[in-house]
Amino acid sequence: MHTYRLEILTIVAIAAFCMVFLYTSSISRDTAFAGTDSIAAAKISGSSGTSPEKIQPLIPQWVPPSGEIESTLFGLQAAIGGGFIGGVFGYWIGQKKNG
Amino acid sequence: MHIMEGYLSPQWCIIWWIIALPCVLFGIYRLKHITNADREALPLLGVTGGFIFLLSSLKLPTPFGSSSHPTGTGLSVICFGPWITSVVCAIVLLFQALFLAHGGLSTLGANVVSMGIVGPVVGYTVYRLLRNSPVNIYITVFLVTALADLSTYIVTSFQLALGAVHPATGNVGSSVILFLGIFAVTQIPIAIVEGIVLALVFKYIVLLKPTILLRLKIFSEAKINAARGDD
Repeated sequence: MHTYRLEILTIVAIAAFCMVFLYTSSISRDTAFAGTDSIAAAKISGSSGTSPEKIQPLIPQWVPPSGEIESTLFGLQAAIGGGFIGGVFGYWIGQKKNG
Repeated sequence: MHIMEGYLSPQWCIIWWIIALPCVLFGIYRLKHITNADREALPLLGVTGGFIFLLSSLKLPTPFGSSSHPTGTGLSVICFGPWITSVVCAIVLLFQALFLAHGGLSTLGANVVSMGIVGPVVGYTVYRLLRNSPVNIYITVFLVTALADLSTYIVTSFQLALGAVHPATGNVGSSVILFLGIFAVTQIPIAIVEGIVLALVFKYIVLLKPTILLRLKIFSEAKINAARGDD
């Protein structure tokens, strides 16, 4: 007989993670939650006094024209992953049912 | 953990590409070998690769007012080892470099090395150390996942300290500390939650499809039976 200890632990961990987030965002209104990538980039460009826009790409790169387009493409990436996961678990459940 | 396009000096871009390329090519060879040997490995690859796609698209807030994403490589590392994992990571990182401007083509080698090679190799080492020990399967999955994630960000910190286009501070040592503060310390809570979530996912693989785990010799029968019994 299996118990649900791991499920409960997962819910508690995610809830604690969300609480820390709510606390961090409430103590300081101007916390930006910027990506660590861009924070590091700002340190690198800042040290030489050049603005991040002035750092030239070595290989030309397409940049999503807005945050909305970018979030769509991130959503697409998550959906591809989720599709595979759901598909395979469904396949396994079907296999198990058919013995 | 992406190093953005243009932020790594050309010689370091080339060095990381030279390290990354043979590992990915070997991973493609291993992938062909495994899927030809056992067609039932393919669905497992779908789940473990799916989690890399899914988790690496989620940018989560850190308690330090920044945001960062998990790597999701733990399950793939345990089931298929570091080289096949590096192939999946290379695909995800290429997608993000081409369509999201997260990372770039010149820095792709460096990003594959951190997320797809060193992180997974660290995770795989932990897995091999714990596989035949009395440590519970789920604790093993948790540790592998959390440490593969965390070591990825530690590698990124070193890569930027060594090869950033402009030095961030006066010397490499203080740059390492600066970048570890930005990337690695902030990553600890994300790595812990990711480890717990993927341990839970592994529980459902153990419950639904224990035969594939046995056929690929991922864990011993005694351990899998123990894991099916408790939790």
